[in-house]
Amino acid sequence: MEEILEFMNVNAGYGRVQILDDLSFSVEKGQVYGVIGPNGSGKTTMFNALLGLIKPSAGKIIFDGVDITRMSSNVRCKMGLGRTFQIPRPFENMSLYENVLVAAVHGGSHSERFAKDVALSSLKQTGLYDKREIRAGELTLLDRKRLEIARALGTEPKLLLLDEVAAGLTEAEVKEIMELVANLKAAGYSIIWIEHIIETMVGSTDYLMCMAQGKSVAQGEPREVIGSAEVQRLYLGVDDDE
Amino acid sequence: MAKRRLKNDNVRVLDSLPMLIVCIAAVSALYFVCLTKLASNNTMRYMIQIFLYITMAQMWNLLSGFTGMTSLGQQLNIGLAGYSVAIATTKLHLSLGMGLLMGVGVSVVVALLMSLILYRMEGMYFSIATWVVAEIFEKLFLNWKYVGQGSGMTIRVVPYPRINEICVVALTVCVLAVAAVYFLLRTRIGLGLTAMRDDISAASAVGVNVFNHKLFVYTIAAAFTAVAAGIFLVNKGIVYPESGFSISWTISLVFIVIVGGSGTVGGPIVGAVIYVFLQEYLARFPGWSNIILGAITILTILFLPKGIMGTLQEKLGFEIFSAKRFSYSKRR
Repeated sequence: MEEILEFMNVNAGYGRVQILDDLSFSVEKGQVYGVIGPNGSGKTTMFNALLGLIKPSAGKIIFDGVDITRMSSNVRCKMGLGRTFQIPRPFENMSLYENVLVAAVHGGSHSERFAKDVALSSLKQTGLYDKREIRAGELTLLDRKRLEIARALGTEPKLLLLDEVAAGLTEAEVKEIMELVANLKAAGYSIIWIEHIIETMVGSTDYLMCMAQGKSVAQGEPREVIGSAEVQRLYLGVDDDE
Repeated sequence: MAKRRLKNDNVRVLDSLPMLIVCIAAVSALYFVCLTKLASNNTMRYMIQIFLYITMAQMWNLLSGFTGMTSLGQQLNIGLAGYSVAIATTKLHLSLGMGLLMGVGVSVVVALLMSLILYRMEGMYFSIATWVVAEIFEKLFLNWKYVGQGSGMTIRVVPYPRINEICVVALTVCVLAVAAVYFLLRTRIGLGLTAMRDDISAASAVGVNVFNHKLFVYTIAAAFTAVAAGIFLVNKGIVYPESGFSISWTISLVFIVIVGGSGTVGGPIVGAVIYVFLQEYLARFPGWSNIILGAITILTILFLPKGIMGTLQEKLGFEIFSAKRFSYSKRR
């Protein structure tokens, strides 16, 4: 399989505090790639490095065959990196349609006429089509999360970055998000998904990486990763010696 | 076409033909009044002020209300324009047109240079920084011998234009400014600006080139503010550092936009009319005018946060000069 993304020995952090420590992993095209890890393990920092919000001090990030390590974040977006925010950040005074239209016009580099079709299909894919003329500020949390995804889809991404889209939702709502992700995978998107809810990750991902202290401590088939001694110790506090 | 009703929202947009006819009729009537000297000189003096305040407030609204760049330094462009016109006409004996052009040129160059530092800042930091830069320029002009230091310069335009000529020019600038904002908001740049106002990080994440957008609106605002201020100060006949670079210019613009309705194209028009008349009335109470204007601004923010136009639009369920996009109109 062809790779859509490769992290090669990336070091990155904020100021003098180094978070990512020699991080390497790769994501294949069409894969749902899950990332888990305790708080402060560097998951969001990895996203920030990938999105160009922080600059790695060492290493390379290869996206779709191109070295993007030094590129600015809106260029990365135009190349096909679509992201969602952990805490949804809709354009509150704009309608859902306008929210996604911005993405399709700027991220997708389309004329407004063409962007309209992209925006409407993104809204359909995420189940927001009927609400498209509502002001985004009036949405419920689940719909805000959906809008995050719709807006990312509006940029026509090759790789979709989902940052805890299921966090804060009820069990039934989490199921809806899982279904949505399954549909996106079926539609051919490659996805990286950060989440805390282990059950969700085992059920919905093809491949799982567990991070701790800025490193990858386990990678592989989701069930095996969850079952590994290292992950058990990190999440359940079970020590190997005991 | 004129009134499109939304399915889920009670907003109608009044635009296209009827709105266009009303606008053309209103503007033609104003031109007619200016050209035929139908109005007295005194009335025309008010009209000039209103046109110029609409222009400057429209630009401040474009920055703050539509883009989220709340500048407290518009007086920088005003001062620079005033001195440019003064130097061009009084020292270099050029025409008023050349002076205004010089004002625009200087303001735009300074705006471009400021891009190096200013656009890295957001929110309050941006506001304060714009103010500080304007203060720095005030101090520079205070110590610059060529421009008369603290006593400033008189602006002597030869031949001095008649008042109705100034009125026509001011009206033209005003119409161009309103049209520029209206059409800009309907382009892809306008869409990006509106997104930036709501959330700048999210805008950047969906591919909006935030830096270029900021540079673009800031430069346009600088240019229009400079023309309007140039005409304004010619009318006054004098420019000195404390008046040209005074924060009270921006305070007036804030008042106009907040009271009229921030984030609406109609707001600055309504606000400017109110401001000019109020200012005239308040001239009877020297020393109190800024306090009263400030109090009105605060009360408006508290009880009418969307301003007159914003509240009217909300209550009556329509929008004029709207750049709102709809998913079902064939036009967009």
